[in-house]
Amino acid sequence: MTDSGDKGLVFNIQRFSVHDGPGIRTTVFFKGCPLRCLWCSNPESQDYRQTLIVRDMTCTACGKCVAVCPLKAISIDENSGRRIDWSKCNQCLRCVEACMYSSLNRCGDYMTVAEIIKEVARDTLFYKNSGGGVTISGGEPLLQHAFLMKLLPVCKDSGYHVALDTTGFASREVIKSILPYVDLVLFDIKHLDDETHRKLTGVGNKAILSNLREVAKASNIWLRVPLIEGLNDSAEEIEKIGKLAKAVGAEKVSLLPYHEGGVSKSYQIGREYLIPKAKPPSAQYIESLKCLLLKMGVKATVGS
Amino acid sequence: MAEIKENIKSRLVIKAVRNVRRGDVNESAERGMYRPDIKLDLQRSRLMTASYKATDGKPMIMRRAKAFENILANMDLYIQDWERIVGSNVSFPQGLYFGIDMNWRSVERIVRGKEGQSLLDEKGRSELKAMIDYWKGKSMSDRQQTLFTGPILKYWKYEGTFLWTHWSELGIPDYEMIFRVGLKGIIQEAETRLAEIDTVVPADYLEQKEFLNSAIIALKALIRFANRYAVMAREMAARTVEAEHKKRLLEIAETCEWVPENPPRTFLEALQSFFFIHVGRYVEYSTLGIGVRFDKIFGSYYEQDISDGRLTREEALEILQLLWVKFHELGLVYSPMLSGIYGGVESLQAITVGGVDQDGNDITNEMTYLVLETAQSMKTLEPSIAMRYHEGTPDKLLHKAAEVMHEGIGYPSMFNDKGLIPTLRKWDVPLEDARDYAVTGCVYIEIPGKNIARRAHGALVLPKCLWWALHSGINPENNEQWGAKTPDPAEFSSVNDILAAYLDQVRFFFGRMTKIENICRSLYETYLPRPFYSAVLEGCIEKGRDTRRWAYPSMVHDFVVIIGATNVVDSLSAIKRVVFENKLVTLPELIEIMDRNWEGHEEIRQACINAPKYGNDDEYVDLMARDVHYGTSSVLAEFSDRFGNPLRGDGSGVSATYGLAYHTPATPDGRKNADAFSDATLSPSQGSDFKGPTAVLKSAAKIDTEKTYNHLLNQKFLPSMLEGDMRDVFVSYLRTWGDMEISHIQFNVVDKETLLDAQKHPENYSDMIVRVAGYSAYFVDLSKGLQDSIIRRTEQTFE
Ligand code: SF4
Ligand code: SF4
Repeated sequence: MTDSGDKGLVFNIQRFSVHDGPGIRTTVFFKGCPLRCLWCSNPESQDYRQTLIVRDMTCTACGKCVAVCPLKAISIDENSGRRIDWSKCNQCLRCVEACMYSSLNRCGDYMTVAEIIKEVARDTLFYKNSGGGVTISGGEPLLQHAFLMKLLPVCKDSGYHVALDTTGFASREVIKSILPYVDLVLFDIKHLDDETHRKLTGVGNKAILSNLREVAKASNIWLRVPLIEGLNDSAEEIEKIGKLAKAVGAEKVSLLPYHEGGVSKSYQIGREYLIPKAKPPSAQYIESLKCLLLKMGVKATVGS
Repeated sequence: MAEIKENIKSRLVIKAVRNVRRGDVNESAERGMYRPDIKLDLQRSRLMTASYKATDGKPMIMRRAKAFENILANMDLYIQDWERIVGSNVSFPQGLYFGIDMNWRSVERIVRGKEGQSLLDEKGRSELKAMIDYWKGKSMSDRQQTLFTGPILKYWKYEGTFLWTHWSELGIPDYEMIFRVGLKGIIQEAETRLAEIDTVVPADYLEQKEFLNSAIIALKALIRFANRYAVMAREMAARTVEAEHKKRLLEIAETCEWVPENPPRTFLEALQSFFFIHVGRYVEYSTLGIGVRFDKIFGSYYEQDISDGRLTREEALEILQLLWVKFHELGLVYSPMLSGIYGGVESLQAITVGGVDQDGNDITNEMTYLVLETAQSMKTLEPSIAMRYHEGTPDKLLHKAAEVMHEGIGYPSMFNDKGLIPTLRKWDVPLEDARDYAVTGCVYIEIPGKNIARRAHGALVLPKCLWWALHSGINPENNEQWGAKTPDPAEFSSVNDILAAYLDQVRFFFGRMTKIENICRSLYETYLPRPFYSAVLEGCIEKGRDTRRWAYPSMVHDFVVIIGATNVVDSLSAIKRVVFENKLVTLPELIEIMDRNWEGHEEIRQACINAPKYGNDDEYVDLMARDVHYGTSSVLAEFSDRFGNPLRGDGSGVSATYGLAYHTPATPDGRKNADAFSDATLSPSQGSDFKGPTAVLKSAAKIDTEKTYNHLLNQKFLPSMLEGDMRDVFVSYLRTWGDMEISHIQFNVVDKETLLDAQKHPENYSDMIVRVAGYSAYFVDLSKGLQDSIIRRTEQTFE
């Protein structure tokens, strides 16, 4: 599937989303991401295809999936139940159709603009009363740029406040073209050192940082900083981010403590989780980072 | 300040009932229905029995007035050291009220059985036995049992479709009138009326005369009751050295000499007058609830005292806290069967704050905030706080409400003027009255001062009606035609056919239930008139008629608690998806599988569970919810009470959604035999709402309150949702709920881990309160199953 722009590949539409911009929002999560952050809490969002995601809990070991898998990737074991040999799986998703118990599921739906808008429109009243709106997130939503160029104008025409949650990893043209339709950019900052950034996410940050400056010219910005103990949480680093926030005129810095969501999800999609011992910094330490930013005159919040 | 509060809290006596039954089966009788220090108080029964014996042959209304008088004149009084507001419906703080005149059978059983052994000692038990000998054949349940015959008798016995009971009444006295003229003013009016009928001699002369004389006896009895406290307080003061204590006692004496006879002059007098009337209502007859619009009634007294420099804000807060302790002394004994429905309840007392006045203006005042602060500092089971919402409700008040909800006590629970006032208008309540509605307990809506002696006469189990519809009304165990004779399920070709059969079953069972109730109401009119309560309402003295002989002309009156509507909806959705669309099985096959409690057919059960469920803003099923609610409510309205007012449902599921589910076998929504139902009319089934709290409201809003009844909607939120910046978001959520005209919402603000830990270590959570239905309860008082059903409520979090 190429990004022809008629349909977008969406892996979740989260209503009552309140940590992704102001007020009560609906966040549309697009599938596919060029980064590979070690701590990724939604690893199922990385692959830019429809993929298999499993829920062992509801499996009854009925065996229906075994029968349909063309690659013999599934087996039933007396003790541990249904098992998947992920190295054999080619994501054909035939097993999903066979499973009656929602134990094998498809991650990702191709949706039209109208279908997405229908979902987003459901909570319009809540947006009005709370100052909320719609947030476009991922994965990296800008990967589906052609589709966004169809979706976002409709969002704007409908009067929604639009926030874009992005890694900033995209071409300058893509970024520039999208900004007129965006009220707020939630811009992820993972590390300011290019080499470290590459180690942590698989890509360097040069393009990202220069895109940030571009965004700053046209849109309100919240910098979003995931905090993983020992990886990017030094006071020094946060101070640098604070300076950056000031330089680009960001409205605030959101400190997002690491959470373990990615551990179980990696298992559910047959991936190894690379940093199983990762932890968020202690609440006390996070508070001190927040104070540090506040002292610099940078508005900071924790968790949203 | 904090220290004083702690001190006040330690005086609470907890009379909450633990649920020991599900339907008619024992669940956990061994732990006892009450805490061990609670004892059954026999004084009211003793004094009432003596009075009844002495008044044999007199008109019943006079006998009731005399009995009331005898109780109030002779019951032991108590004034505890710390009290500033006095009065009780029992003769010692740990006493439990019991209405021997209503139903002694269950009490006799309780004190003999495990559930209530600690309630009475040997001596008490034998005295009870002797009194029962007198009441055999005379109590309300005796009279009713001899009166029920034929099909009425047959359907009265509980088999799981409906439960009819002699349950307590609610009702709100006309406090504004009482405060304006004092009881002496009402007595004067009654005397004037007596003189009038002597000149006019109306057709019902005798009835009026007996009523008015009885009302005067009752009113004077309450004045003397207050005066007895005054005498007692003076005696105690004379013996007291400690200056502060002496001062309190003298203050009590002065207050009780003045109110309720005269109009109150101060905030304290107003509260004391109110409390005496409240207690009087509880003593006269088995009643529940409060309902008073607290800020509307007391706000001006408070403000006057403040501007006169008689009172400080802190002192007012302390007086309120003391009143809260007194509310807790008004428990009553439940039958074991009712304990399954009201698990954790004391006497279902709720007070109302906020909303508009008769002219439509917001009434919020300082008292509104004081009530919330009292609730926040006391964290007691009762009174639950019902907060009325309208567009003009100040943001500051909503933020305060959120702060109190954050305590996790389950209230204030929110009532929406935008949904309820139009509904009351639809029920023929004039606009001014509709704007004055108040909540007495749970989600029971009443109009203060109006002749509404309402009671919930029972619970109708809607999924069981559906179950009968899927069995042609035939009991499979003995092939008896028990319910309505609806078509063979093999003939159903659409969900609408099933809906029609379901409604036929509702009609069949509710029709029988209504007959039972209407017979019983005529018994109440004859044998249990209420001269005291009548006298403190608007209209009875004027008409010369007891409350039971006429009624405020609106269907706001009696209602039936309807249980499990959401399970009916989800069941229809499952049948539509699995049988008619996907054709996985035929309907008769599904019924057979379901009747075997899904054994061996988990895949079909899963398919049923995976069908669309109410609560996810999904038209597929939400439109069915509309059909089920609209259909059910119009069937209920086909029946009327004795005065011709149509009947209606009520969304309060209380804990019956768990207790009464025991007798409903598996249902097509994938629910297994005896599993709990969804916890209220607007609540999704536990764990079935995946789309979050906005979707729940969207689903709920599709069911128009005006076309149905007052509802109840539970939501469970994590505490973090109401903290910091999030509180603004929460308040905007509340405002949106308001805009959507949904009649009610309430929140359990607690995380699942805490509840699970409380199940494991109950000793650490003895004072943790949760919201059950329209009331809050100590979590540890609830049976495991009921706890589980609360834990399973979907936790609404922020992603
Ligand atoms: S079809 Fe589904 S339930 Fe059956 S074995 Fe496969 S995963 Fe488990
Ligand atoms: S998605 Fe993978 S496991 Fe499922 S049928 Fe296809 S190859 Fe087999």
